Amino acid sequence: MKPIRTGKRLNLRRNEAISFYLCISPWLIGFVLFVLGPMLASLAISVLRWDLLGEASFVGLRNYERVFTRDPLVWQSLKVTTIYTAVYVPMELVGGLALALLMNQKLRIERLLRTVYYLPSVLPGVAFVVLWMWILHPDVGLINTLLSYVGIDGPRWLVDPDWALTALLLMSMWGLGRSMVIYLASLQGIGRQYYEAAAIDGANYWQAFWRITIPMLTPTIYFNLVLSVISTFQTFTSAYVGTDGGPLDSTLFYVLYLFRQAFQFFRMGYASALAWVLFVIILGLTLMIVRSSRRWVFYGGERE
Amino acid sequence: MSRLSRYAGFVVGVILLATACTTPEPQIIERTVEVTKEVEVIVTSVPEVIEKTVEVTKEVEVVVTATPQPLPDGAKIILRVGTGDSGEGLNPHQEIIARFEEENPDILVQLEAVSGRDYYTRLFTQIAAGDAPDIMQIGDDAVPNFVDNGAFLSLDDFISGEFPLDTSIYLPGTLDPGQWEGTQWLLPKDFSPLAVYYNKAIFDDAGVAYPEDGWTWDEFLETAQTLTQDTDGDGDTDIWGAQLTANWTTGFEYFIAAAGGSLISEDGTEFVGYMDSEDAVQAVQFFSDLYNVHKVAPPPADFSLWAGGNSQFGNGQAAMRLFGRWPLAGYRDNPNVDLGMVGVPVGDERANTLFWGGFGIFSGTEHPEAAWRFLRFYAGEQGSDVWKDWAIPPVAAAAEAAGLTEDPIEGVWISELDYLVPRAYVFTPYWGQTADPALRKALETVLIDPDADVQAVMEQAAQEAQNALEDQM
Repeated sequence: MKPIRTGKRLNLRRNEAISFYLCISPWLIGFVLFVLGPMLASLAISVLRWDLLGEASFVGLRNYERVFTRDPLVWQSLKVTTIYTAVYVPMELVGGLALALLMNQKLRIERLLRTVYYLPSVLPGVAFVVLWMWILHPDVGLINTLLSYVGIDGPRWLVDPDWALTALLLMSMWGLGRSMVIYLASLQGIGRQYYEAAAIDGANYWQAFWRITIPMLTPTIYFNLVLSVISTFQTFTSAYVGTDGGPLDSTLFYVLYLFRQAFQFFRMGYASALAWVLFVIILGLTLMIVRSSRRWVFYGGERE
Repeated sequence: MSRLSRYAGFVVGVILLATACTTPEPQIIERTVEVTKEVEVIVTSVPEVIEKTVEVTKEVEVVVTATPQPLPDGAKIILRVGTGDSGEGLNPHQEIIARFEEENPDILVQLEAVSGRDYYTRLFTQIAAGDAPDIMQIGDDAVPNFVDNGAFLSLDDFISGEFPLDTSIYLPGTLDPGQWEGTQWLLPKDFSPLAVYYNKAIFDDAGVAYPEDGWTWDEFLETAQTLTQDTDGDGDTDIWGAQLTANWTTGFEYFIAAAGGSLISEDGTEFVGYMDSEDAVQAVQFFSDLYNVHKVAPPPADFSLWAGGNSQFGNGQAAMRLFGRWPLAGYRDNPNVDLGMVGVPVGDERANTLFWGGFGIFSGTEHPEAAWRFLRFYAGEQGSDVWKDWAIPPVAAAAEAAGLTEDPIEGVWISELDYLVPRAYVFTPYWGQTADPALRKALETVLIDPDADVQAVMEQAAQEAQNALEDQM
């Protein structure tokens, strides 16, 4: 039967549309004013040469040309950021999952342990980094002192260009709690009947893990992967507070370099160009992950 | 959820809401001020009015706030003073403001203290918005940048105007950083050259004579070597000869100048041929050898901290330290250190560099005359009278009257002012973006890698700086 297009029907649809927009208007206004607007402004600034105080002059694509051809530090910072992301994201995935699996055993102190592991993610970033700077102090820090008890002469951590990035990775391991909590929630959502069926068929723990747990977790893994890549590419606090680009630019993260260009050298146009290049890179990576997700993310789990 | 956790959650929520809703109050401090006033005294036997000077102690309110606050009193002129100091460093400011307010009841002064790395960024944004404090404090190497952007009022007319200032009262070299392209833009607040702190206790234990003014680099090295000891025989150095300045670039300019070199050409366009000149390479080699070959200097602990973040001198584990005046007060009170002071050693030439902070008047101020009156008070004799308790006052007479010129410790800082060479930043406005990072990287390279070829490292640094400079033009 064809739908009857009466005036009443149209009004209803229009009313629904209006109330929809009204409902999301706070977010929409906020988005336009604080996200979309500044993004477009930054795109405009990226074709200018402007030092915040003086006159802005139009320079076309010169800033972008500089990013790609004349600035070796951009490549250095991309290299540092990519290496850090490539090591950190798998670590977070695997580590968070491992912790969640541990938490999922029926322990009486599970609640307490869960809080303990999640706590570091709640700490303010700067305080956290300063604390770790002391733990990693090459002469009197906790880590090197403990290593010296075992007879090992610890590396000079944040002062050594070969070890500084590793030191930052070590520091960031404290943030595993966040992904752990998400995995734990998903783990507890996997129906018991799968495991029972597997047990009847004679599967051992590992088989159950690989054939039930992991496939059921793939949506969560996908979620964590995308978010993790996006945010790790934008690492800033630990580099800014901990090493300020590190000995010999070994911890010069991309966003730190951007910040330096904008607020220490006052090159707003160049920094905006850097920001847009980063946007495109992260967008590209995210699209790649989304595309590939069709192959390995399994949404089939039926809910009761 | 249990009753208790619900209740606790409610309380936490209320507290968070309360803190979010209240605006920070400006801190109002009361300071007691001694003011010499003329008072009329009536003598009874013969009705006569005599004027007598009497010291009166008054309490004056000083407002300290991080953001501009509107004050209720509309009749007075309100001046805002911006500073990057914090904590105890604000005490002299407050004292001077209290005295000024006492003598000038028509002006109220608000101190806006913003500490930390964001101070300049914040100042820039305030200037761009036309809302900067009437009087702003900046460091020496920021002067060209701020002046070229029109942030300050020229002081030349004020100096010779209705409330004149005699510029000859200042210690040598303390007015220069406030000048740019022939005009005076800022007046000095505080300053420090470099000098060598030494720990008499360690010298006495090792039986080494105290260093004398005018000593050479060779004597410095010898002294440091004799004092570097492994006291408990475990193979690690326990007492270091000299704590040096690691990757601090502006402090390193002393070494270059003392070797007779310079980092940039006079016209500010060439680094190649200067940063990698024989003298510069010699300076870097000497510096690096102190760390890597003679091992008299403790290795830097953290490159992102000032001058390597070493703490050996303060812990009584280093015999000497080459640095500015900033930690002096702490060392005086430090039980680990029996403090002595001597000038920096002489290389091929006797040279020193000055680090300086000053105050200027914002070009967009609504009260230029009132601001000048305060600035004159602040940086002149009255202000120096307060400063002498905290730092070396820039006014020579105040320093002498306080006995600082003869003091065995403070006098060193004053006498070093006779050997100042211009800092590299005065030759180009792009110093911070070009040579400074290149030099810092070069210093870090030679400090990390004992086998680095200093000549090659400096050549690379000069080239990097040159490329960056050409990019700017």
